[in-house]
Amino acid sequence: MVDLATKSLLHDKLRFLITVSGVAFAVTLVFVQVGLFLGLMDNASLTIEHLNADLWITSHDTKNIDFAHTFPETHVKRVRAIPGVASADNLIVWFMNISLPTGSVEGTEVYALEDFTKWNFPWNVTGGNLEDLRRGNYMFLDSSAEHRYGGPFAIGDYREVIGRRLKIIGRSTEAKSFTTTPLTFMNFTLAQSLVPSELRGNTTYILVKLEPGANVEQVKAEIRRRLPYNDVYTGKEWAARSRNYWVESTGLGLNMYLTVFLGCLVGIVVVAQTLYTSTMEHIKEFGTVKAIGGGNADIYSILAKQATIAAVLGFGLGALMAYAMRPLIYKIDLKLVIPTPLFAYVFAGSVVLCLAASMISFRKVASIDPALVFRN
Amino acid sequence: MILEAKEIRKSFTEGKESFDVLRGIDFGVERGEIVSLEGPSGSGKTTFLSILGCILTPTKGDVLIDGEVANAKKLNDIRKRSLGFVFQQFNLFPSLTALENIEYALNVKGIRGREARLEAERVIEAVGLGDRQAFLPRDLSGGQKQRVAIARALAGKAPILLADEPTANLDSVVGTQVLELFRALAKKENRALVIVTHDPKVRAVADRVVKIQDGRLS
Repeated sequence: MVDLATKSLLHDKLRFLITVSGVAFAVTLVFVQVGLFLGLMDNASLTIEHLNADLWITSHDTKNIDFAHTFPETHVKRVRAIPGVASADNLIVWFMNISLPTGSVEGTEVYALEDFTKWNFPWNVTGGNLEDLRRGNYMFLDSSAEHRYGGPFAIGDYREVIGRRLKIIGRSTEAKSFTTTPLTFMNFTLAQSLVPSELRGNTTYILVKLEPGANVEQVKAEIRRRLPYNDVYTGKEWAARSRNYWVESTGLGLNMYLTVFLGCLVGIVVVAQTLYTSTMEHIKEFGTVKAIGGGNADIYSILAKQATIAAVLGFGLGALMAYAMRPLIYKIDLKLVIPTPLFAYVFAGSVVLCLAASMISFRKVASIDPALVFRN
Repeated sequence: MILEAKEIRKSFTEGKESFDVLRGIDFGVERGEIVSLEGPSGSGKTTFLSILGCILTPTKGDVLIDGEVANAKKLNDIRKRSLGFVFQQFNLFPSLTALENIEYALNVKGIRGREARLEAERVIEAVGLGDRQAFLPRDLSGGQKQRVAIARALAGKAPILLADEPTANLDSVVGTQVLELFRALAKKENRALVIVTHDPKVRAVADRVVKIQDGRLS
């Protein structure tokens, strides 16, 4: 079978390039926009997922993990007494100022626990021993601080946090928050002493591990009964609530949908326009196909194949460009998360939208009179 | 008769006015016969050829192919099975080689694979372009393009060949060569050939000359 569709498409290489580039541009836009969105969402709940607590107790109506509010640290004792609770620990998440060797002051997001090893947090330690954090004015700093604070740091260096000189005794990687503020890890009581006005005698969260086989809903109900002015969530619920806050409050979700829509629109317009122009230029050829006995099905198979080729190649090129951008995006402390299902959806979307774009050309060709082959 | 037209009338409407282009034409052609259909511009000869080629349907009258009335719902099938066309502008697919142009026409007619390739090679050899089969139309001369178009019409053994001004875009010498080739192949393969033309050279190869004027045969 002679492949008129492919040969005709490749015959005009410039137009073919424009068509494929249009699709590739749209695909890259969708991958980057959705990938960035998923990357940000990943960061928004990254620490929640890695702390892996069965239940989170927060102050009432806390919107997300970064914007914590205080409540008495003694609440944890009431929680530990609830049947089904294996263990419960206080956690402070709090923004503090850190002075840098350059003389500038930056923000840091402090995570403070009594026992970091118990919670395996931070999860990717690249230097130092978490056990040592409880032994004095010490801190761990995440590697992302190097980029954000504009210079490297080493274990053994000192930094002032709210006027207190703390020694860096370890470092982690991959610990990030939605705000991109570098994370610092320190002992619970040390954190309380740094901000006594707000944190003395207080915590911001209680992390709960349940006993095997414990009824989650029953434990939650009991926590609510004993701590009526707090909220309680499962790890998944709290992660979702934290992510949703950013989606809804910042317009991030709307922005993503809008860009994806515009990307698709650009792709459709480019493919539709180039296919339509090409069809109009080759209208006599389509007339000839009809004159020699071809039907609309023959012609649509040509247009559909051309649209599919443009979609597949454009998708491949677009995906490649998006992947090539990952290291660049990582360098600015952002993540491009492209899960396998997204590949499948964008691929299917590219093919469907290109086929839809080819319908405009088909409507034109379907109505042509084969007698035009006799006209000059 | 392999091709017969009975009392063909064709009217076109433009705005509120109706024009009678063909006013009752009876026509027939036998297998192996070559007919030259001549007439001035606007006489209706191309419209008549389009109706004979089952591309247009007549307002009144019937076209019969091998004694069977060409049903309006089966025009595509009739064109695939029984008709081969040669156009004034050649109408070759510019992205396909000479051989592929022929093979594609066979594919449209439902002949595929090796059978299509062998038939395309047979007809391209028959028109003397065996050594040009891998050339794109842009690399062929006008005469060579028209020979590829003739080969495309011959491919698939359609019993009726219809040609619209096949020499109009060729110089005199090449035009004569193409017509002689066309005649020889049509006769050899016992095909009916109707040529619409202004070109007096066509008379030399035709068995019969039919004139059309003001929508009637004269």
